Amino acid sequence: MDYMEIANSLPLWIAAGLAICLAIFQAILFGKKSYESGKNMGLTEHQMKSAMKSSFITSIGPSIVILSGLLSLLVTVGGPMAWMRLSYIGSVMFELMAASFGAEATGVKMGIDPMNEIAFANAVWTMILGSIGWIVFATFSADKMGKFQEKFSKGNKAVIGIISTAAILGAFAALVSPHLLKMNKNSVAAIAGGVIMLVLQLLIKKKKINWLKEWGLAIALFGGMIVAVIV
Amino acid sequence: MEKNKEYNGVYLPYIIRWGKITGWLGVLLSFGPAIALYLFYGLLPPASAILTGFVSIAGAVGVIWFIEPISYFPIIGVPGTYMAFITGNISNLRIPCATVAQNVAGVEAGTDEGAIIATLGMAVSVLVNIVILALGVFAGTQILAALPKSVLDAFNFLLPALFGAIFVQFAVSKPKLAPIALAIGLIFSFLVMKGLVPSYVTTLISVFGTMFIGVNMSKKGII
Repeated sequence: MDYMEIANSLPLWIAAGLAICLAIFQAILFGKKSYESGKNMGLTEHQMKSAMKSSFITSIGPSIVILSGLLSLLVTVGGPMAWMRLSYIGSVMFELMAASFGAEATGVKMGIDPMNEIAFANAVWTMILGSIGWIVFATFSADKMGKFQEKFSKGNKAVIGIISTAAILGAFAALVSPHLLKMNKNSVAAIAGGVIMLVLQLLIKKKKINWLKEWGLAIALFGGMIVAVIV
Repeated sequence: MEKNKEYNGVYLPYIIRWGKITGWLGVLLSFGPAIALYLFYGLLPPASAILTGFVSIAGAVGVIWFIEPISYFPIIGVPGTYMAFITGNISNLRIPCATVAQNVAGVEAGTDEGAIIATLGMAVSVLVNIVILALGVFAGTQILAALPKSVLDAFNFLLPALFGAIFVQFAVSKPKLAPIALAIGLIFSFLVMKGLVPSYVTTLISVFGTMFIGVNMSKKGII
């Protein structure tokens, strides 16, 4: 049997589907509880609904990016694994690397030699073992890191606020810097995205255009892309 | 402190309990496809091959298993950590959605209300992402094949634009801290480019370096 037939077979769809159902279950569970507790803590329904709506709008752009990377995974490890790995922790680059490491451990060089069933099975094993490290460590340490942060900030609200904002600035400075240093169209996209965001932020503040808050990131995202294509 | 009681006394214990259950269940269900391959097709690679595959991938990304949850924790908090590390796509999807949601709802990052709104936003993004990917998997080959290559290439610019936009969004609120963060990011990305430091160092040092400087600047009343 061709390994692709196995890779796209019903048992694999079901196995992948079960894992994805868990992610859906968790999202609904956490979402519902947040909504309920948010209400009890005095957040208005309008605040929470507009937060959800804006998140919906913002999700679309990045999801398209993930989707466009899907193709390369589809042709190497089949639909179920591609679907599961990208909905579960994982990214296209990482999964391709894991799959090729796995295949190589059985003596098959992905992209050069033809894949066989055992090479595919080992690719699956490697993708799984490579990705559970994140889940294991995060699940084990989330509440402990919470306690540590509480102790560190001693409940000082100003300190906690500055920690989060500084962490976002640091994280996204680290993410954007490689693109800036490339000095190519990626740099143009990064700068254009930033400039558009700056203009939008000023508009939101000065003119109080509230719907712009919800759409701002999506506009900056696609605007930055269009500028990079044109320039 | 009624609000605080709701968050620390009711919300957080619930999230931690279910976060742990779903997290460990997530680890188990991850093995589903491997088990299905064995049960239905008798496919089980030799232990040595599994071990070799594991060692190579652990060598390549093992450090990141620890670095990422630690680096992103100050942004996404306890509920976000349980969620983000099951569903992935943290910097490109979960954090952007969380920050936009907070901004729209008018709550501060790092507060209890901020954590609630961020979790709501992330939950929505998980669902949207899964639906779009499902459509992509079932109809994706046709859709993607129908798009001209120029459009697919253009999608590559969405991510840098996103990173630039989020950075600026927060730079506006902390204009004195932002240049410092960017300088750290640029210096370490340059060192990574030259092969002098491994790439995961950039995120770690940028996050904690900026945090350290930010807290000190705030204590001195500069920001």
